[in-house]
Amino acid sequence: MIHNFKYALKTLFKNKMLIFWTFAFPIILGTFFKMAFSNIEKNEKLDIIDIAIVENENFNQNFAFKETFKVLSDKESEDRLFNTVYVTEKEAKNLLDEDKIIGYLILEDEPKVVVKTSGIDETILKYVTEEITQTEETMRNVAEYEFRQEIEKNPVEASNLNSIYASVYQKVIEMTKEGSTNIENISSANLSYTMIEYYTLIAMACLYGGILGMVSVNQNLANMSSNGKRVAVSPTSKGKLIFSSVLASYITQIIGVALLFLYTILILKVDYGENLLLIILLALVGCLAGLSLGIVIACVFKTNDNAKTGIVIAVTMVGCFLSGMMGITMKYIVDKNIPIINKLNPASMITDGFYSLYYYDTLDRYYFNIASLFIFSLVMIGISIFSLRRQQYDSI
Amino acid sequence: MTVFRTFLKVLKACIVPIILYTVILVAFGGFNMKTSDTSTAFVSSKPDIFIVNNDTKNPLTNNLIQYISENSNIIDIENDEEKINDALFYRDVNYIIYIPKNYGEDFFNGKDPKIEIKSTGDYQASLAEMILSRYIKVANIYKDVVDTEEELISKINNTLEKQAEVEITSSLDTDNLSKATFYYNFASYSILAGCVYVICLILSSFQSDKIKKRTVISSMNYKKYNRDLLLSNSLFAIVLWMFYVLLSIILVGNVMFTMHGLVYIANAFVFTICGLTIAFLIGNLVNNKNAINGIVNVIALGSSFLCGAFVPMEFLPDSVLKVAHILPTYYYISSNEMIAKLETFSIEAMRPIITNMIIIVVFSVIFVILSNIVSKRKQKIG
Repeated sequence: MIHNFKYALKTLFKNKMLIFWTFAFPIILGTFFKMAFSNIEKNEKLDIIDIAIVENENFNQNFAFKETFKVLSDKESEDRLFNTVYVTEKEAKNLLDEDKIIGYLILEDEPKVVVKTSGIDETILKYVTEEITQTEETMRNVAEYEFRQEIEKNPVEASNLNSIYASVYQKVIEMTKEGSTNIENISSANLSYTMIEYYTLIAMACLYGGILGMVSVNQNLANMSSNGKRVAVSPTSKGKLIFSSVLASYITQIIGVALLFLYTILILKVDYGENLLLIILLALVGCLAGLSLGIVIACVFKTNDNAKTGIVIAVTMVGCFLSGMMGITMKYIVDKNIPIINKLNPASMITDGFYSLYYYDTLDRYYFNIASLFIFSLVMIGISIFSLRRQQYDSI
Repeated sequence: MTVFRTFLKVLKACIVPIILYTVILVAFGGFNMKTSDTSTAFVSSKPDIFIVNNDTKNPLTNNLIQYISENSNIIDIENDEEKINDALFYRDVNYIIYIPKNYGEDFFNGKDPKIEIKSTGDYQASLAEMILSRYIKVANIYKDVVDTEEELISKINNTLEKQAEVEITSSLDTDNLSKATFYYNFASYSILAGCVYVICLILSSFQSDKIKKRTVISSMNYKKYNRDLLLSNSLFAIVLWMFYVLLSIILVGNVMFTMHGLVYIANAFVFTICGLTIAFLIGNLVNNKNAINGIVNVIALGSSFLCGAFVPMEFLPDSVLKVAHILPTYYYISSNEMIAKLETFSIEAMRPIITNMIIIVVFSVIFVILSNIVSKRKQKIG
């Protein structure tokens, strides 16, 4: 048995195609992911928006606009929103044509925003402009009210009017400044959705490991190769033979996945969450699921090696597609609309397991995925044993 | 003709992968190109918001919700904490607002109740936060100067009604153009993968030992042999290109019949030719049929990821884009991006696009020369 184990291991490592698909390909793909996705989320954060303001008389006289844009364009400030240039209307038009700014503001009778297209930056400029006019309006309304109150309290003395006005004005300014909002952000800190890509990558590597299991089982099948015929007539028990071959491929697979883990953690800086033991457990169970999938395909389908490899790859790719490898939203769409598919899809169980470790504080969902993977593996192995039992050939 | 006939025979055998790459293109294309109304009027971006309302009966709260729904897309999710969290993670919503019990009443009585939110922290979420905090700010100011809730609501609404005037200068149909850009960027993957896969498979059939030996001792000059092969492969590439153009007309629509569309098509043509020469070179270098699958994936996926076929160029790190300069796909995709922004078709405006096309042609010439060198070397069989 140890003898067979040793040779099974050797055969697997000598097979270059196998090692490429199970070891190198996930690493290469991961590198591509890193190159492509590393900046996406950074770019989604609100950037500083380049705008221009037409510096005309109206603008210079309008305290609210002038002050607000000055504050929002303050280089020192953390809440900086705009990078503002003050220019003439003609210059502003030129800047817009050259895509140097996304739009400009011009104060005629009413404030007007000029932009090239609709978009989110443009919407923000529009919102800020509106907010200023609205605040002005609020101040006017409140001032009016306060003024009336004051006058009601101490009936008019013309000389007093000015001082009342000043105090009301002061009060209103204070009020608008205070206008704080009691909003608290309670979202989880781990919101980086591109992590899903790497999780599907691990899932893919685990399932590709199925090819290893498949190849090593094929070595023992009399109908697959002359090697298999020789093995089949040997006096060693078949259970032992298959078990040792499968064990060899499981170990090969784990080495591959471990390498991928090291690479993604150390070089690509993927965040798997805190709990290392649970991560390793998930990877081991995931590999087992991949392995058992490969074995089933080896046992149940009666075709040649290449076709079986094709089936493993196809199943893996479809699984990974559904769990979000080619578009992260795919997993969500499936989860939301047809959850049963991803409950049966081993790639999705693995991905979801990592996701729940990363995003959720509780472990219910994680254990649910582990249990599902176990059940999946057991069912697969059961089917294989059932179809391998008592195979006999009178002639081949 | 002999070469061509053999070519067709082999081509028949690998129709499945071509269909596969096309299906991928259509699936992703269709998936990512949601149709939306095209208009030249300004449309405000609307963030996707979900509201968990625990204060249903209060008019002030209802008015707040009314205001938020007017300025955002309210997303319909099951009110279940796990579903909500999933939705936030996968960006189905950008912003979740939890309105506590008795919010409206507490607010009116000056208790300054707290609203909890969950946010994805991106552009859309910032916009959502602007909308929410603007309402609360205005309401906060007015609540000290009114006597009844109704008065407060009407004052708030009157103020928030004031909109800024927005003028749009560009008359480009940006929506459809960006769709076309997306399609053609993605097509670079399908074209390259399709060309390389099929042509390599065909060449490796031609290169298999017995056939190779027969050809080499035949009277056919190796240059003529190569040319015939290149021509029949070109025919395949052109058919592939025409197929993707047709597909783009179906998927993208009318834009393809404008000047813009024509430039997209021309650009794709130049790229297809380049893909063909790349395939030819690789096919000459690699004869192992099993290795082709791996090589196709690495080359096609690699250049697509590096050059921004899947992820728009503007999102890629600068270092990656610098490396991408050595790949022809980079020039193809950056042309596509430029076409979308083209307002006129003067020589002046087209110059960068034409330059890119020339660069791609130069790449192709280099690949042809290289593959000739390789195939000349390989003629000598030990």
